[in-house]
Amino acid sequence: MARSVWKGPFVDGYLLKKSEATRASGRNEVIKTWSRRSTILPQFVGLTFGVYNGQKFLPVLVTENMIGHKFGEFSPTRNFPGHAADKKAKRG
Amino acid sequence: MARIAGVNIPTQKRVVIALTYIHGIGSVKAKEICGKVGIPAERRVNQLSDADVVRIREVIDQDYRVEGDLRREVAMNIKRLMDLGCYRGLRHRKGLPVRGQRTHTNARTRKGPAKAIAGKKK
Repeated sequence: MARSVWKGPFVDGYLLKKSEATRASGRNEVIKTWSRRSTILPQFVGLTFGVYNGQKFLPVLVTENMIGHKFGEFSPTRNFPGHAADKKAKRG
Repeated sequence: MARIAGVNIPTQKRVVIALTYIHGIGSVKAKEICGKVGIPAERRVNQLSDADVVRIREVIDQDYRVEGDLRREVAMNIKRLMDLGCYRGLRHRKGLPVRGQRTHTNARTRKGPAKAIAGKKK
């Protein structure tokens, strides 16, 4: 079920402060975050976030199209390398 | 023969049913359209006057997205997700279910017919 509109988008507060700070400092450094649950807001566009996927911080450059999605959607938590080697392992 | 919204030529059937042959129009929208144009439910397509057909066409052109336009819109939405590189886009790219269904078994609609794996079975 979709979130109620009256609550507004969910964002962890510190992201707002951090994004403002990096904007002010002018340098475009990666903002590391564990907050995969936060919505991407218009004021994040153009910044790079390091979104934690349980192992490392994947850099996500926020573009206009991403607004409304959550950070977690851009940092996959599972890595499926494929089945290649099973063939020999079985049938033993 | 009635040609409405491009290629669709449903005849012989009741208008409410015939309209659902158009991609993007189901029974609810078909009823809406008949209401707007003022066609009784039992009327069949071959009993429609030309004026009625024209009016149906106008209503559909104005208020509904059907056929090619609709397909294009859906394809564009999916393409947007794929270009974004978000989770749903990745699932579309891989041809796997997008909404969190299990893939250990089932999911054949998205995955297509099962492929035999060499060396499986004991």
